[in-house]
Amino acid sequence: MNSIRNRMHIPGVVYLIISTQVPFLYALWLSLHGWHLLEPYLGQPFVGLHNYYYELFQNPVFWTSVVNTGELVFGSLAVSLVGGTGLAFLLNRPFFGRNVLRALVLIPFLVTPSVSSLIWKNLFFNSNFGIVNWLFGVMNLPNVAWFSTIPMESLIIITAWQWTPFFILIVTAGLQSLPEEQVEAAQVDGAGRFRIFAHVISPHLRTYYEAAILLGTIFIFQTFGKIYVATGGGPGTSTTTLPFYTYQVAFIHWNIGHAAAIGVFGVILAIIVARIMIRFLDREGGQ
Amino acid sequence: MTAKRRHSRLGALYTAITYVVVLLFIFPVLWTVITGFKTESQAYSSSPLFLFQPTVHQFLLAFGGGFWNYFSNSLLASTVSTVVALFLGVPCAYAMVFYMHRKRSKNLLFFILSTRFMPFAAIIVPLYVIFERFNLLNNIFSLIIVYTAMNLPLVVWMSRSYFMDLPNEVMEASLLDGCSKWGALLRVAIPMSVSGLTATALLSMVFAWNDFFFAVNLTFTHSGTLPIMVSSFMTNESLFIAKVSALATLIIIVPVILGLYAQKHLVRGLTAGAIK
Repeated sequence: MNSIRNRMHIPGVVYLIISTQVPFLYALWLSLHGWHLLEPYLGQPFVGLHNYYYELFQNPVFWTSVVNTGELVFGSLAVSLVGGTGLAFLLNRPFFGRNVLRALVLIPFLVTPSVSSLIWKNLFFNSNFGIVNWLFGVMNLPNVAWFSTIPMESLIIITAWQWTPFFILIVTAGLQSLPEEQVEAAQVDGAGRFRIFAHVISPHLRTYYEAAILLGTIFIFQTFGKIYVATGGGPGTSTTTLPFYTYQVAFIHWNIGHAAAIGVFGVILAIIVARIMIRFLDREGGQ
Repeated sequence: MTAKRRHSRLGALYTAITYVVVLLFIFPVLWTVITGFKTESQAYSSSPLFLFQPTVHQFLLAFGGGFWNYFSNSLLASTVSTVVALFLGVPCAYAMVFYMHRKRSKNLLFFILSTRFMPFAAIIVPLYVIFERFNLLNNIFSLIIVYTAMNLPLVVWMSRSYFMDLPNEVMEASLLDGCSKWGALLRVAIPMSVSGLTATALLSMVFAWNDFFFAVNLTFTHSGTLPIMVSSFMTNESLFIAKVSALATLIIIVPVILGLYAQKHLVRGLTAGAIK
């Protein structure tokens, strides 16, 4: 069928180039220029790499935001990986109502992220009338001021809650595609549960975990609405992540040149992760 | 006690644990829905109220405050961007699967996926400047443009995977029978993968509906979507928990229903074909 010419892919590709590549090239241009929207009389002079130099070497908030991003991404990944694995195994046994429960556990992932943040902040983590502190009180535990004393941990709880279904889905896909013959063969050979898990099940699940971790990293990196609603990046800069910092520099300080430079730096980080992922997809065959 | 009975008791225990854990896991959503049916004073009671006289008062309040305006913006942005993404993405996937050399098709797929994995923060500044120049800030049209770009990779990789599942002979036969390449797409490929494509459309709507980042930066003052409405509640009316819960319930109903309808396709949509 390759002999027939087909250009049906062109409109879609052109659309993506115009809507993502052109803005990115423009971001590169902006990152090399000074442009402060609150001081328009300064114009847009070419400043070379000064915007990058300032953010990388003279501005501690930038590196704080990089570290915060890492904490949020890996904290949330770790919690949702463990939680998702537990739930996937629980839901993998045959029992009455399994399909309904399997659907219900997807709900946190589908809930609008900014709305879930609002719910958690007001109904659960509110220090005066939140349900979590009420529960702590019942158990004689001290009252916790969630978002003011442990903001990053609270944010990780909310984020992990949302991403747990993602791990449930992927681990379940892995468990459903287990090589049954190999498991049975191992049983016939007298292997115990632990050995079957260590030598048959876990190598099989490994590729699924790799995919989940890489994709999860890329998606959780983008977290924004939750931070905006729950903490606004604070207290101080304790929950300011790279995307949120970009937003602050661009739309609070109106420093277009600096914001563009931070955004470009974010892309470099993402490319590093994406390269690992492409290698992964290549190994899987991809096609 | 026989081993079998002990086994079934253990099974029942596991099942009970599963039910409890799942209930706790989705409790935040259940509690939000429940709180939406309370009065404000009930919502603020010092210990959580489970039994109370439900009222729809908060929902009626939530429908005020420009709800329908935000709602129509959300609906418009998510449906129009999904339709455009399907129009652009399905033919693209079709050409990639049936008319392109594998190597080239794969390279193109990597390019398309890379646009989806690019951090949104990197392009928000230039987009803002460009939309400002074209007078599109605070215009729902700018969100439609952005959501289309956001969902196009999803549409391409999902429809590509459905087309790849189609038996090659069917496609070849349809061309031999005199179908044009458009005919083969419209009369054979699309109808044969219609359930998958429907799921794709639903997931694409969910992602657009749930976006906050572009909405807050591009259309905050006018043409805001529902997540923007909720965030303004945050600062102005944070003392109205029951009302906020009712509003939250109204907003999340849509993505939850659409997403659960398409749940069987969720893995495919999220993993970009890394997992079948």
